[in-house]
Amino acid sequence: MPASAILLFCLGAALIALFVGFRVHFTRSREGKMLAFVALFALPVMAAWTGFSEHMDRAESTKFCLSCHVMGDFGKTLYIDDPSFIPAAHFQNNRIPRDHACYTCHTDYAMFGSVRAKIRGMHHLQVQYFGTVPKPEDIKLYQPFNNRECLHCHLGARTFEQASAHTKTPGQLDTIKSNKLSCVSSGCHEFVHNVASLKDDTFWKETP
Amino acid sequence: METPVVERRIRWASFLIGAGLLIQLGSLLVVHPLAFVAFLMLGCPLMAAGIVLYLLSLVS
Repeated sequence: MPASAILLFCLGAALIALFVGFRVHFTRSREGKMLAFVALFALPVMAAWTGFSEHMDRAESTKFCLSCHVMGDFGKTLYIDDPSFIPAAHFQNNRIPRDHACYTCHTDYAMFGSVRAKIRGMHHLQVQYFGTVPKPEDIKLYQPFNNRECLHCHLGARTFEQASAHTKTPGQLDTIKSNKLSCVSSGCHEFVHNVASLKDDTFWKETP
Repeated sequence: METPVVERRIRWASFLIGAGLLIQLGSLLVVHPLAFVAFLMLGCPLMAAGIVLYLLSLVS
């Protein structure tokens, strides 16, 4: 459902609920009782559910992730003018949807991965407002980046399966696929966000 | 004439639900983590309290 429709739905539900409150004597009649049930139970539940699902969708957007100040530098790294920087190369070449850039790589492609990502987000929020916010260069992943997240898209792709760097030793592809040889921390695709060196970088275009 | 207890409860329920839905509506106007928190921590509890009050008014 489009966001504008959800907004209208919430507004309509609120107005109907308030109408019942201001004209409470209507509920003495049978029709009034039915209206009250719709206005004070069915519509609010539906409105809350659609609102919740909209918030869940928004929580996966790049804009949402970068709305915290500390994430700003990570957003800038998506615009670095250097194809060896993995996030920048993916973002600039539409290998990932730009409006879901952070979530696409940083969710877990496993059962309840999306839920775990949201729980991590709540933890970030707690640190942002009630904890000590680290410097951007001190922010680390909770656990090493799992190849599973890369393979979600790259597995089966010719550029991945037949790349000379991936097949130069026997069994290398299997060690990558089994996460024994990390894509990003084994010296192959090691340039990721690198926010510490941001001031020395040039950019593809002006960062938003 | 004094308003019956049931109607007073329904009135309170409608105001709580209306307030909760308006907070939820406001939270949907901005894309920010705090908007989500406002939705979850303010809008939903107010609305839930209103629904419970309304349901209580039905069985009382």
